[in-house]
Amino acid sequence: MITMTIVYGFINSAILVVAALGFNITFGISGVANFAHGALYIAAGFLTYLCLTELHFPYWIAAPAAVIITGALAAVIYRVVLLRVRGLVVSEVIATFAIGLAILELFRFLGFVGFEFTLPVFVDASVPLGNTLVDAQRLLVVASGIVLTVFLWLFTHYTKTGLAFRGIAQDERTALTLGINADRVAALSMAFGGAYAAVAALVILPLGTIAVNEGYDVMINSLAVCIMGGLGSTGGLIAASFLIGYGQIITATYLGTHWTMIVSLVAILIILIVKPSGLFGHQKELEERT
Amino acid sequence: MLEVKNLMVFYENAIGVNELSMEIRSGQIVGVIGSNSAGKTSLMNTISGLIHDMRIKERRKGGVRITVMGQILFEGQDISNMPPHIRAQHGIVLCRERHPIFPDSTVDENLKIAGHLRNREEIKHGMDMGFNLFPNLARWRKRKAGFLSGGEQQMLAIAMAMIVGPKLMLLDEPLLGLSPAMQSQLVKALKAIRRETGVTLVIAEQFARPLLPMLDFAYVIENGMLTLTGSGPELMENPEIKSAYFGV
Ligand SMILES: Nc1ncnc2c1ncn2[C@@H]1O[C@H](COP(=O)(O)OP(=O)(O)OP(=O)(O)O)[C@@H](O)[C@H]1O
Ligand SMILES: [Mg+2]
Repeated sequence: MITMTIVYGFINSAILVVAALGFNITFGISGVANFAHGALYIAAGFLTYLCLTELHFPYWIAAPAAVIITGALAAVIYRVVLLRVRGLVVSEVIATFAIGLAILELFRFLGFVGFEFTLPVFVDASVPLGNTLVDAQRLLVVASGIVLTVFLWLFTHYTKTGLAFRGIAQDERTALTLGINADRVAALSMAFGGAYAAVAALVILPLGTIAVNEGYDVMINSLAVCIMGGLGSTGGLIAASFLIGYGQIITATYLGTHWTMIVSLVAILIILIVKPSGLFGHQKELEERT
Repeated sequence: MLEVKNLMVFYENAIGVNELSMEIRSGQIVGVIGSNSAGKTSLMNTISGLIHDMRIKERRKGGVRITVMGQILFEGQDISNMPPHIRAQHGIVLCRERHPIFPDSTVDENLKIAGHLRNREEIKHGMDMGFNLFPNLARWRKRKAGFLSGGEQQMLAIAMAMIVGPKLMLLDEPLLGLSPAMQSQLVKALKAIRRETGVTLVIAEQFARPLLPMLDFAYVIENGMLTLTGSGPELMENPEIKSAYFGV
């Protein structure tokens, strides 16, 4: 029982990290809280599903295609809608939230409801950890959490675009004077966040079915870990994911799975009351941007 | 190289620049001298395109509060409607007031971010040059820029602007908050930059004294308007300047 809680808590935490990274990247760089993140995640799932079942693409084409299309979709959302309201925080939130709703409810309207919508697992095997049996896909989520985090770190420290991301994140005007195209970089950060959402969908969704409602849950969980960790802080996101991740598993074990979503919501409430800037957040991230 | 013609910059309820014209020749060091709210920053931001960017952002949100009139010619081309990052590509690089650095990144990373338009060798070369000019910086390469002293941050900011590859470098109050020793060190470095790279420098400052001796030409502005012009040494002898800026 205890090992199971520890192992599954760890995996659940990794799932939260993987699902939330994309949201966090976009916010950290361009200051846009992308409330369509959960919808992009689900859209990537359905896209992959359609590529596999309708177009009969092999997986190694379907998966990258979904990642690229989702990233491009996010960039288009930025260019067409967000560019105009950039810096008006409330408008950004309303716009992205509305787009997210539209995407998710469109899938529901088009009949994407049911248990047949699933993605294939990478390896169909189970690994014993202590006296608990864990399927390989769950371990893959943990591995991809590590890979995605390390990749993000390397990308933002060693590539031109990644360094420009950090420049824009810290001081847009100074970045402009250095010849960095701020609008382009912000659009890229949206695309990057969208692509991360798609990768998350590819590794997490095989654990269950692709369901529209999952989009809302992913959004709430991502928001919870990002707010708790301090928006934009990757270290904070990981710490908060483990707190909430274990909180959810413990709640599920002792109170029932029915209660897990409550954990994120309570976590959001508590952190907003106790320390609104989050565990690792600088106060500046809650200040108004100019 | 740069020609400003009848430039006017209005904010909603203030005048930034008023009917200002100036001409800057290649290779010169030019000063823009003025006290607080004289319009130095407004002028620098207009030349570098930041004002243009602010206006675009305002227009997107509806309601433009800044009005700009007049013409800015760079190498014969009207750049009034060019966004700031393109102006930087053309070689107009502004070093904003109050140490414009990226505080959460290390000194090395700041220089690499500044090298966005340059290739690997150019960045390496630019970094070497920066550390040569400002040996103090070389000690703190792995330190977060936010932890540097104000003077060191200013040096970093100038080294960053140099890496962009400017033809025309605009410096907004580079001496702000520096000790006299630090000021003269910076003035020396600026002279060295001009000598080694031939870059044209426009320096906006309140403190005229440490700067005037090296200026090929200076514009004195007040309330956004030109009040005096002349070479540095000429202005040094001007009684009005003496009383207004030297407190003699
Ligand atoms: N964004 C703005 N909105 C409204 N008014 C502004 C803005 N920026 C500057 N001003 C006004 O324009 C005038 C000129 O300001 P500017 O910043 O150009 O002066 P400055 O010479 O740089 O002064 P300082 O030495 O204090 O930096 C001031 O009266 C200022 O209040
Ligand atoms: Mg100023």
